[in-house]
Formats: sequence, structure tokens, C-alpha cells
Amino acid sequence: MQLTQNKNISHALLAASCTLLGVTPVAQAAGNSEDGWKIDTALLLYSEQDRVSAVESVIAASKDFGDQHIFSGKLVIDTLTGSSASGAVPQDKVQTFTRPSGNGQYQIEANTLPLDDTFHDTRVQLNAQWTQPVMENTRVSSGVHFSKEYDYLSLAVNASLARDFNNKNTTVSAGFSYANDTIDPEGGRPVGFSGMVINQGQFSSEDAYKNAFDLTRQDGSDTKSTLDLMFGLTQTINRRMIMQLNYGFSKVDGYLTDPFKVLSVVDQSGTSVNTLYENRPDNRTKHNIFVQGKYAFDSGVADVSYRFATDDWDIDSHTVDSKFRFNLSDNSYLQPHVRFYQQSAANFYQPFLTQADPLPAFATADYRLGEMTAFTLGLKYGMTLESGNELAFRVEYYQQNPKNNGTPLPGQLQQQDLFPSVKALMAQVSYSF
Amino acid sequence: MQQPFVLEHKTGHICGRFYAMASPCELLIDTDDMLVAQQLVALAYQETKRIEQKFSRYLPDNIVHQINSAEGNPVAIDDETFKLLSFADTCYQISQGMFDITSGVLRKAWRFDGSDKLPDDSLVQDLMPFIGWQKIHFDQHQLRMPKGYELDFGGIGKEYAVDKVAQVCLQAQPTISILINFGGDIQITRARDGQQPWVIGIENPLNQDKAVKTLSLYHGGMATSGDSRRYLLKNGERYSHILNPHTGYPVKNAPRSVTVIAEHCIQAGLLATLALLQGEQAEAFLKQQQVQHWCMR
Amino acid sequence: MKKRFGLAIIVGIVATTSGCASLGVQPWERDLLAKDEMALDADSVDSGLDDHIYFSKEATSGGKAFSGGGCGCN
Repeated sequence: MQLTQNKNISHALLAASCTLLGVTPVAQAAGNSEDGWKIDTALLLYSEQDRVSAVESVIAASKDFGDQHIFSGKLVIDTLTGSSASGAVPQDKVQTFTRPSGNGQYQIEANTLPLDDTFHDTRVQLNAQWTQPVMENTRVSSGVHFSKEYDYLSLAVNASLARDFNNKNTTVSAGFSYANDTIDPEGGRPVGFSGMVINQGQFSSEDAYKNAFDLTRQDGSDTKSTLDLMFGLTQTINRRMIMQLNYGFSKVDGYLTDPFKVLSVVDQSGTSVNTLYENRPDNRTKHNIFVQGKYAFDSGVADVSYRFATDDWDIDSHTVDSKFRFNLSDNSYLQPHVRFYQQSAANFYQPFLTQADPLPAFATADYRLGEMTAFTLGLKYGMTLESGNELAFRVEYYQQNPKNNGTPLPGQLQQQDLFPSVKALMAQVSYSF
Repeated sequence: MQQPFVLEHKTGHICGRFYAMASPCELLIDTDDMLVAQQLVALAYQETKRIEQKFSRYLPDNIVHQINSAEGNPVAIDDETFKLLSFADTCYQISQGMFDITSGVLRKAWRFDGSDKLPDDSLVQDLMPFIGWQKIHFDQHQLRMPKGYELDFGGIGKEYAVDKVAQVCLQAQPTISILINFGGDIQITRARDGQQPWVIGIENPLNQDKAVKTLSLYHGGMATSGDSRRYLLKNGERYSHILNPHTGYPVKNAPRSVTVIAEHCIQAGLLATLALLQGEQAEAFLKQQQVQHWCMR
Repeated sequence: MKKRFGLAIIVGIVATTSGCASLGVQPWERDLLAKDEMALDADSVDSGLDDHIYFSKEATSGGKAFSGGGCGCN
């Protein structure tokens, strides 16, 4: 028979089937939800007490083009505003700092942790990923990543291979990702350990200040490259349980310093006499091991994971993350979330520099590289609507508790809170269709 | 008396099993009530056996046997047989003669036992005069078929049984979702509550240890046609058991298995069979029909 | 102490996955594992957002998936 004449065979057969079975045809396509585009959208508000707040919006789309040829893409737009700890120590008098751009100053009240309030940025991120089988039981996946904000560009490619064994109960995978980031902060990148130039009337003219400021800056942009390797093993344990084990290796080279972070130089009385821009090593090698287990209960799912990470900056971290989904009915669920995180300090972390000691090769006072614990408590409520679409709400509380890594505090610093907790609330709405 | 079927509690549903029509038969019933499930499986078993006994070519004293041994005389038929014949007629028309329930006579020449024994061409040619649906005349009350011809409902019987069992079950329990699965031919009576799908594993007929994929079916039917075990292999060429009634020979380059999803199981089954009859163009045919499908070659 | 606990879990899994061929299920026993919420990457939009936050607030990232390209927030 000629293919061109075939077009309505399916409809003719439907009519004939209905006649045979004595039923009326229903104008409703059979099949499943795997066809067509699956779209996930989410809007997240993130707000730290007195510090950064962010709005993130996500649209993710995926489609199975048949035979497991799957495309997935994601667009993320986020805006960030607010202030972030600069690394300088609080003092018993008002402090004046130059903005990172060199244009203008900001003042910090006495007994207040210096926060740099110049953060506002919009970031656009695009991801695209293609996955398909290459031979029996083997899949390849490859993708690109693009992220752009005002002073930062990140481009990445990734590829991975996964193979199923043992009746698809075991999956072994290997993959890599290579990222190249370009950073070009406004006002240039600071020269490591150069002193912050603060115009307090000592300059004869604005140009003289500018010249002095420019001397602390490096021209042009700098780059950072990240190579990630990941090896994974997924194992179905039984009808209710599946486990995953990943090993990750990461090598980062290039400009790893944060151009907005500084250290205070203090004298014996703990009084700040100078402010230096931080300086970090230009490479970092990281390893991590990640284990995840999921267990299906009759009316819910338990999802527990543990990650151990270590690197040559001597930062070791432990992360335990668990989610428990309770199905309230056939189409709604409640999912509490608990996460605990703990990290040790980088070997070049110090909360401040002391005038008496020689300058180390590298130093940062960025609390994010110091000793810290953090926890997250969250709750998600999700429901399937009549239409089959899904709506979910999520709230999370995140608290970071930075700790002193054993540095003695001289003089007035004993009266200051150098390691205040950071508290944040997140609220999210998601809709999938 | 021992029941011909077994029932088992599963997570969220009850599974009933029996064996009929040379195939494992399974009912997944979206209930916790064992009594309801038992009633449904008994009903399903009864209906399946009724259809098997009425339309099997291998059983004596049924309507098919009467027709095949009538030697040209008219045979009285009932309404159900008339409907099945009408359906077969539609299939013959829309496939331009490729689907022909008189072509079963070719089984006398072809034995698809996995061996390399191809029949003598003369044997095939001797049977060709006894193939041709257009020679069969029937109306609502009787059928007349030339001597030497044979009818075989084997190509639609199991799918028909699945659809009929689904109908009987839906009538008995209109609010419960039931999945009927006779050896991969599937029909769901109604959607489950709360957007829950029935999850089905599709086997790879070439390697039965490996499920190719699982899929979620919410409603409708699904059927698979293939030749996992029924084929001949000679000089590296594979002869599928799908025979072209115009030539008397197997269709060339047919996929080994075709799975189709449609509103009704029998509709899906016919689409799968018609796709196999397209040989090399099976995938193109299915694409044109805009139905969800999987082909394995 | 915590570190040792973590390693014990890992060793336990490796031993069980390589040592026992009877692990796993038959294709028709995948009814529970096939549920969306049992996928290892379920809630992937949530984890993407979380990963981005933790990436910019903590010294460690990645593990479950590639941490990929960075951003200026760190």
C-alpha cells in the first residue's frame, strides 16, 4: 500500500474498534505525559537579614524526541541587591572605606561589621543539554552553559557517558565539564595586598586621588578555568531503594581572588591602621564524594545524602541533606527538608592581619573561607491540579554560623562581634506543566 | 474447587493472574478490596474463556470450526461474529488487502520455528488460490466461504478479548481503574484517581532480561506485534512470520517488534500489525499515523 | 568522628554493590522506582536554585552534579 494514502488509518481503525466494541469514540488522545514539552518554572525570593536579597526566576524545558533522545534547556535570571561583608573588622569608631569601583566612599558606624552595600547585579544563565543512547544500554549527554552578569562571564561545556548493567539495576557514568570564566570588575582588579586608598583630604586634587587609586589596580580582565571530572555509580538495591555514589575531582586555575574583599591590618590594641585587598592562590584542587539514597515508602519518599569535600586549601566540609516526602493524598504532599553543613577554614584564612607580623603569601578574611557551620530548615507543599499540572510552595530558613578558627583577638576586637551569624529566608513558588 | 486464577496484594493495587489464549493474563486493580478484585478477576477469566472457546481456530465445535468446515455452504452467524467480521473487513479495506484473515492458510507451508527450513515455492503457490477476503460473502445472519478457504481470527482475537474484558470490568466496577494485560496487549478501563499512572515496563523481545523502558499509561490501550521467537533464518536472511497475502512470502525488512499506544487495544494491535506489514517503511507509517510507538529492529 | 561515619557508609555501599549479584529488581518490579519522586534528580529546579545559593555562600560546591561554570557572586 502507498504511504501517502495511509494518513487516516488510525482514525478509521478507531471508528471500526468503537463499532466492534459498541462504544462511542471519545475525542481524547490516549497515551502518557512523556510526550510534548515538560516545562518547569520557579520564582525564588532570597532575603538575608540586613544583607543581600535576591530574586531568581527559572524556566526549564525538556522534551523526549522519542527513543530517549532528550533535550533539556534552562533559563535563569536573577537580580541581587544589598550588602555583603567586606572582610574588614568592626571598630569602636566610625570607619570610612572606598567603594570597589573607586568612585565614592561609604561609612560604617562604630561597633558594626563593615558591609559593602554596592552589590546590585543582574545575571542571566542559559543551559542546554542533549542526551541520547549511543548503543545498547549506553547514553551520552552533552551540554553548554552560559552565565553573564555585569562584570562576569562564564562559559562551560560538559559531556558524560552512562552505561547500564545488570538489568538496568546498575549504572556507571563518567563525565567532565570545562568552564572558562572572565572577570572584569568595575574599577579594575585590585593588586593583591595593596592598601585601600581612602580620600580623606590628603590629596591635592581629584586626579591625584585617582592616580593613587589606579596604582592599586590591575588593568584588563582576568580569567579562571575549572575542569571537573565526575565518576558515578547508581545501584537499584530493591523495589523500594536506589543509591548513588559519585566521586568528583575539580581543578581550578586563574584568578580566584574576590576583588571586593579586604582585610583589616590591626595594631596591638586591635585598632585598624590599614585596609588591604585580599590575595588568594591562583589554583585550587578539590575532591568530593557524594552518596545519596532514596527509599520509597507506601506513602512517601525519604531522600538522604552526604557529601564530603576536601581541597588543597585545607577546606574540608561535610554536608548532610535530607528530605522526607509525605503524600497527604493522591495529589498533594508535604516535604520537610533539613540540611547541615560544616567546613574548616582555608589555610590562608585569617579574620584580620596584624601590624607586627610579616605579610603572608596569601590571606583572606572572607568568612565564607573560614570555619563555619550552617543549617537549613525547609518545608515544601506540592499539589497536582485537576489539569495534571503541578504547583508547589517552598519556604526555607538558612543560617550560617561563622566561627573563629583560633585567632586571638587583640584589644578592642574582643568587644566586637567578628563572626556574626547570617540568617536568610527563602520563599519559592514552582509550577510545572 | 481450585480457582483458575491467583490474586495478590501489591502496593496500592491488587494483581490477578490467570493463563488463557496461550498467554499469561494479568489484571491490575486499583483497589484494596480483595472481594471486589476476586469478583472482577472471575468475571475477566469467564469472558476470556468465552471468547477463546468461541473464536479459537484450534478448538472444535465453535463458530470458526463450523465456518472452516462448511465446504462452501452458508453458515449462520451471531451478532458478535458479524461485528468481528465487519472489523476484519475494514482492516482489509484500509490496508488494501495486506491484512487478510484468510491468509492463515499459509501456515500449512510456513513453519516459523527458528530453523532454516523454507518451504518449497510450489507448496506456497498451491495455497495462493485459497487466499482472498473478497471471496467471502457475509451479512448479519450468515456467511458463505468457498471450499478450501480458512478463517483465522488469531491476528485480532487476543486484542479483542482484552477490550471486551475491559468493557465487562468497567460495567461491573465503573469507578475502579483496572489495567488488563494479556501478554503485552493492554487496556485500561478508566484513569486512576489523582492523576496516578499505571507504570508499564516494555520488554525488549530480543533480550528478555532487559526491560527497554518503563512508561506511564494513564488511560487507553497498548499492543505489541512482533516475532521474537517466530521466524526463519536462512543464509543470514531473517524471514519474519508476517506474511504478505499478495505473495505468500514473509514481509521483508519488518521490525522485529512494534508497540503502539491508542485509545483501544485492538486499534493499537492493528496499527502495530499494519506497521509490520509495511516492512522497511514501518516507522514512516507509524509516524504518519501520529501515534505513540516504539519499533525494535 | 563525622568523617569516619561518612567513609563507613561509602565502604558499605561499594561492598554491597560489587559483592551481591542479587541486588536490584526485575523490570516489572519498577513500579515504585519509576515514580517521578523517586528519580535521583527529582526536584531538579529546587536543587539548581539551592546549589546556586550554597555555591555563593559556602566554600564547597558540586557533588551531586557538576558545579559547572561559576558566577561573580562568589
